[in-house]
Amino acid sequence: MKPLLAGVLLPLVASLVWLAAMGGPVRAANEVDLQVKLLAKDGHVQVSFTLTHGFTSELQAAIRSGLTATIAYETELRRGGTLWFDRTLATATVTATARYDNLTRQHQLSRTVDGRGEEPRLTEDEAQVREWMTVFKQLPLFSTKQLEENAEYYVRVRARTRPRVNWLLFWPWEHGAPTGEARFTLIQ
Amino acid sequence: MLTLRDTSPAPSPARPRPRRQAFERRPFRDNPLLIVVGIALLVTALAATLSFGSRSSRFSPDFLTEFVLYALSAADLAMILALVFVLARNILKLMVERRRGLPFARFRSKLVGVLLGMTLIPSVLVLFVGSELIRTNLDRWFNAPMEEIVASANRTAGDYYRERQKLVSDTSQRISVALAPLGFPDADVTRVFEVIKPEVAPLRTSMVEVYRVVLGRGPRPDVSAVAEVRVPSFPSDYNRVSADRLAERVASGSAETHGFEPLGGGGELLRSAAPVRGRDGKLAGVVVASDYLTGEMADRSRRMTDAYEQYSKLKVLKSNMFGVYISFFLMVTLMILVGATWIGFYLAKRITRPIQMLAAAARDIGAGHLDHRLEPETSDEFGALVEAFNAMTGELSNSRQDLERSAQDLQRQHQEVEARRRYIETVLERITTGVVSVDAAGRVTTINSAAARLLGLQGAGAGQPVADLLGRTDLSPLLALVEGARSGAQDPPAQEIALAHDGREVHLAAAATRLHGEGGATEGTVLVFDDITPLIRAQKVAAWREVARRLAHEIKNPLTPIQLCAERLARHFQSAPAPTRALVEECTKTIVGEVESLKGLVDEFSQFARMPAPKRIPTNLPTLLADTLALYVGLFREVKIDTLAPPDMPLVRVDPEQIRRVVINLVDNAIEAMERKGQIVIEVQHAAVERVARIVVADNGPGIPASEREKLFMPYYSTKRRGSGLGLAIVRRIIAEHGGSIDAADNVPRGTRFIVELPV
Repeated sequence: MKPLLAGVLLPLVASLVWLAAMGGPVRAANEVDLQVKLLAKDGHVQVSFTLTHGFTSELQAAIRSGLTATIAYETELRRGGTLWFDRTLATATVTATARYDNLTRQHQLSRTVDGRGEEPRLTEDEAQVREWMTVFKQLPLFSTKQLEENAEYYVRVRARTRPRVNWLLFWPWEHGAPTGEARFTLIQ
Repeated sequence: MLTLRDTSPAPSPARPRPRRQAFERRPFRDNPLLIVVGIALLVTALAATLSFGSRSSRFSPDFLTEFVLYALSAADLAMILALVFVLARNILKLMVERRRGLPFARFRSKLVGVLLGMTLIPSVLVLFVGSELIRTNLDRWFNAPMEEIVASANRTAGDYYRERQKLVSDTSQRISVALAPLGFPDADVTRVFEVIKPEVAPLRTSMVEVYRVVLGRGPRPDVSAVAEVRVPSFPSDYNRVSADRLAERVASGSAETHGFEPLGGGGELLRSAAPVRGRDGKLAGVVVASDYLTGEMADRSRRMTDAYEQYSKLKVLKSNMFGVYISFFLMVTLMILVGATWIGFYLAKRITRPIQMLAAAARDIGAGHLDHRLEPETSDEFGALVEAFNAMTGELSNSRQDLERSAQDLQRQHQEVEARRRYIETVLERITTGVVSVDAAGRVTTINSAAARLLGLQGAGAGQPVADLLGRTDLSPLLALVEGARSGAQDPPAQEIALAHDGREVHLAAAATRLHGEGGATEGTVLVFDDITPLIRAQKVAAWREVARRLAHEIKNPLTPIQLCAERLARHFQSAPAPTRALVEECTKTIVGEVESLKGLVDEFSQFARMPAPKRIPTNLPTLLADTLALYVGLFREVKIDTLAPPDMPLVRVDPEQIRRVVINLVDNAIEAMERKGQIVIEVQHAAVERVARIVVADNGPGIPASEREKLFMPYYSTKRRGSGLGLAIVRRIIAEHGGSIDAADNVPRGTRFIVELPV
């Protein structure tokens, strides 16, 4: 077994360890926080959420470079189960996009809810861009008509940022996406 | 490369054909076409990867870092898993094979290790070096001078845009202030033109548009254009839609007062809007001033900004780009590794499998399966090796078949010899002829039981010198016969030799014959002798019977005339004087008496000569004895007669009258021998093993000397003062006619025992 061990396993393991070390820096996920607030009003579950520290320096640099930056918030209205997995009742995807024109020095901002877009905005203020991308207030995402009274529900929001500038060797998929949730009991 | 094919033929019933054996064929891994197709696919994938990598510079960073990086990472991960699986599976198999001690497992593991090491070590080194080169080159892309250049260019373009933007913004602000006194929204259009025309000129503001805003008619203000002034060089394909939208936004209170509109024919419009207040201070109109940037200027500025953004994007996505390139490189390396690993294992198996098969076949042949054959399909060295192996196996098979045939012949011959030996041994043991064989050295090789019995050599065995075996004095004639045969040039003639054994005279007809070997040499001598005593005895009896018959015939005929003549003489001399008459009467009485004695003697002779055949019927011997011995009750007061008989004595087929005569004769003889004083014991025995019934008559008389015993049964031999001497001769004849025997022996402590044996 010695030839096999020396000739095969050691080089392979060494190369994998080295390549893993060569991978991009992995930012700690606990720096980012996604706070969710809910309000059942006017027949809708109005969702407000804020991605604290989500407008990272890497994202700012990406925006300044002219890349189209998008934060997609995947929201799920779920009901907890005691004997089985939680059930997803409805989903909605909210996206906030920013694109910076280095020539005119203006940011073009846009938002969509389940693909339906609003009028794009232009701004030169980066603070507005930060708020545009990370703060959402009272979005009527889900209808309360299908919900049961006095039942407890929760909304979970997961934020995915594009472009991702944190590359992990052999695993380019999303890892450590910030997630937040809030619970509510429907009382009418 | 050697491949094996299983071509096992149907076995022939006459002679089993060699069994063609091969390892189990694997439909995929042993199919050359599939192997070629697999290698072609691998090479194609490798070429496609390299081609794609060479064109990667044409793709946008977004596409590379999002789509391509995902695809490459997935492919890398899949290939790593495949490589680990292939390695782990084969290494485990090798470990198991080595632990089981399978042949060539150690050699195969070494071969695999060397092949993989030769592939893995260079590949990993190239991967290390290549990755470092990629990292270094990426770092060189983003050096400080290059970044300064593109940033400065971008700043220059941006500043230019900002300056032009400020110019049109100032113009729109200034016009809005000038238009306010005109009383919007109902201002005189002519006065409006008068205000805005001086502002429109080349190198200043290319176009000014004025809109009237009427509030309160709907949810949105009513915005309509009232005046427009442009320079003559303004592009003819201008579309006012963007200006209208900007005016509407400003009228709606939006803070967005700037706008940019790229034109189809090249160039760009920079717009700036400013609200116009009415006399009441409310929004009553909007001024939109536009500056036309020619195509060349706009393109140059845009290219500078694009270059900066491209550079900035690459810098931002530097880590991802490194991931893309390292994934490309890793994928190529993994493709090579997977292919090389697979080929290494495949080659190792292809090399060791024929050897393993040869080893397995050798073990099979060692276990005795000489019909094992391997089927070569190629003519390379392995094929030649397999052919040589098959030839060797064939030779072994033929040799073993010859050996088996020889062994079978030998076994058959041995069985025949053994059967013949057993047959001869049985014959020798069963025949009454004595056989003694002597080898060339004078040692006895065989002596049958008849010889031992006839010669009285109990315990004699093979290996003894014949001189010792026949060293007894009475056997010296036989030894002389053997020695004569051994030393003489010819076999000595057969001789009749009389031996005295246990007081009996035994007559033997003996002959010695030399044994000749294949070369004619004398290998030994065989002494054969037969007991001819019964024959001589029978000859004597027959002679005596003839004598008796003739005596009876010759003597009995004149007896009657002699007796009649004597009686006539006595009658004739009855009238003679008394002395004469007395003399005659005395003589004639003597003559008549002797004649009567002679008649009795002749009758016995006649009876001996014409003994009738026995009439055998099943007879209870104890009862017969009791009836016979009842005749003696009260006759001899000083003679005691005892009988012994088993309770389960079976019936014996005899002639009762003749057996009664035998018993009477023996008892009479015993009484006479004891001189009518003594004890007689008559015992009936049943010897089941020998299947004989035995009648033993024992007395305690004076006994008979051993030398006289044989003569007892001869006619005319008698120890009594009176008697014909035919009694025991008749007894022996009766017993012989019944198929039995009679013998005399000493009684213990004294007396004589007559033993009669009759077949049951």
